[in-house]
Amino acid sequence: MMGPITQRRKGRLAQKLQLHNGIWGNRRKTAAVLGAVCFLVLAAVALAGWAWREEAAAVDFSRKNLAPCLRYPFGTDWMGRDMFVRTMTGLSLSIRLGALTAGISAVIALTLGLASAALGKWADGVIGFVIDMVLGIPHILLLVLVSCAAGKGFRGVLLGISLTHWTSLARLLRAEALQVKESQYVKIARRLGKGPWYVAKEHLAPHLLPQLAVGLVLLFPHAILHEASITFLGFGLPPEQPAIGVILSESMKYLAMGRWWLALFPGLLLVLIVLLFYAAGNGLSSLVDPGQAHE
Amino acid sequence: MKLEARDISFQYDNGNRRILNEVSLALTSKDRLGLLAPSGFGKTTFCKILAGYERPDSGQVLLDGRPLEGYRGYCPVQMIWQHPELSVNPRRKMKAVLAEGDRIPERVIRGLGIEPDWLGRYPGELSGGELQRFCIARALGERTRFLLADEISTMLDLVTQSQLWQFLLEEVKERQIGLLVVSHSEPLLKRLCTQTINLWEEQAHGRKDAAFAGEKWGNGS
Repeated sequence: MMGPITQRRKGRLAQKLQLHNGIWGNRRKTAAVLGAVCFLVLAAVALAGWAWREEAAAVDFSRKNLAPCLRYPFGTDWMGRDMFVRTMTGLSLSIRLGALTAGISAVIALTLGLASAALGKWADGVIGFVIDMVLGIPHILLLVLVSCAAGKGFRGVLLGISLTHWTSLARLLRAEALQVKESQYVKIARRLGKGPWYVAKEHLAPHLLPQLAVGLVLLFPHAILHEASITFLGFGLPPEQPAIGVILSESMKYLAMGRWWLALFPGLLLVLIVLLFYAAGNGLSSLVDPGQAHE
Repeated sequence: MKLEARDISFQYDNGNRRILNEVSLALTSKDRLGLLAPSGFGKTTFCKILAGYERPDSGQVLLDGRPLEGYRGYCPVQMIWQHPELSVNPRRKMKAVLAEGDRIPERVIRGLGIEPDWLGRYPGELSGGELQRFCIARALGERTRFLLADEISTMLDLVTQSQLWQFLLEEVKERQIGLLVVSHSEPLLKRLCTQTINLWEEQAHGRKDAAFAGEKWGNGS
């Protein structure tokens, strides 16, 4: 008898071995649908939070400190602000900030990764050193330092996260680019009279773009969590902004008074959003590159 | 045209022994030369140097008296590699692989038995033998003057091997492409080539001039 778990194991094994059987097509479809659903949910949250940004700041003392009920599913805080709306706005801010920082990080990673592979040993050495240096400094410390140096706030968080998150993706792209560059088929292309531009467009891009797309999506959750954590620590977004980090750090004071809903729901939703991004990234990675595990 | 190797010496950077020791060879457009040697005697390395993939430590490769490095763009000396699956980008369709060559004539594609249906596939969806036909076709572009075949038929069954060589033989004769065939199989070389060189003997006897030192069979063009 084969239980459902053994069967799933077998499925995974088949996926690892790249067996192109009947199950395979279904798996691809499932991954695509799951990924698309994740993206839709995230986009919806980003839009909803942006539309509710006025309500999120609305103060109404007639409804303060309400526990979760039908009208206010996440309760209200000590100033009578609707926590559901505030949470959505915070998440929306996180997602938008995440998109921006992940995008900038990915561009830095791609530029440095390509430069490292293309410009020869000397450039590779310098870029490798910079990567090791940035990786060597504790992440959160560097983040706080950059954010403070840039004057905290939105700009500080943006710069801080963008400048610290590109390293592992840059490494990955550099390794991939070097491998393709040294491959037999690229050498053959060169002997067939093809120039560096042809090689980059026709040989490198088909290998790097899928990696870049997956890397970009998997950067999101990191960026969002770090945005929340430095804001929580007080080095990020200002307190008047309804960011998740601000909500969580403010709610700390009220936890002891039994207002558990102030921290629980925003925290849970933050985790949920991060998991959604992971799911979307993994779905994408199994679509574009079934045989390869990323990092 | 004439392809000449003069006193080629080569050693890989990993500190192993010198793999090629002052090897010389000359090949004209009408020649079909067989190269015979046991494994590890630098047959592939020699081909790579002749086709311009590697620079020799000393010595020169001359094409019509001009150093091969001097030829920009399409290299008139093309090499077909032993492992077709490494010679094509796994992420590009076979159509793109063929397009990389220099205007491959329809006759070549048909002669090698490439099915039109294969053109829309990725390399992973073809067998080694099928891939090798694409690699051979790609190397037979219009400007190819010399063809170096490095153990290109080892992965094929005998029937396909004979079809393939029959086609290649006719093609190089008709277009006057000089052919260098590397193989472990002496009977195959005997059938194909006008003359053959044993790289091992050349190196062992330390003879400097290997050109035309091989045994003449006189069944040639």
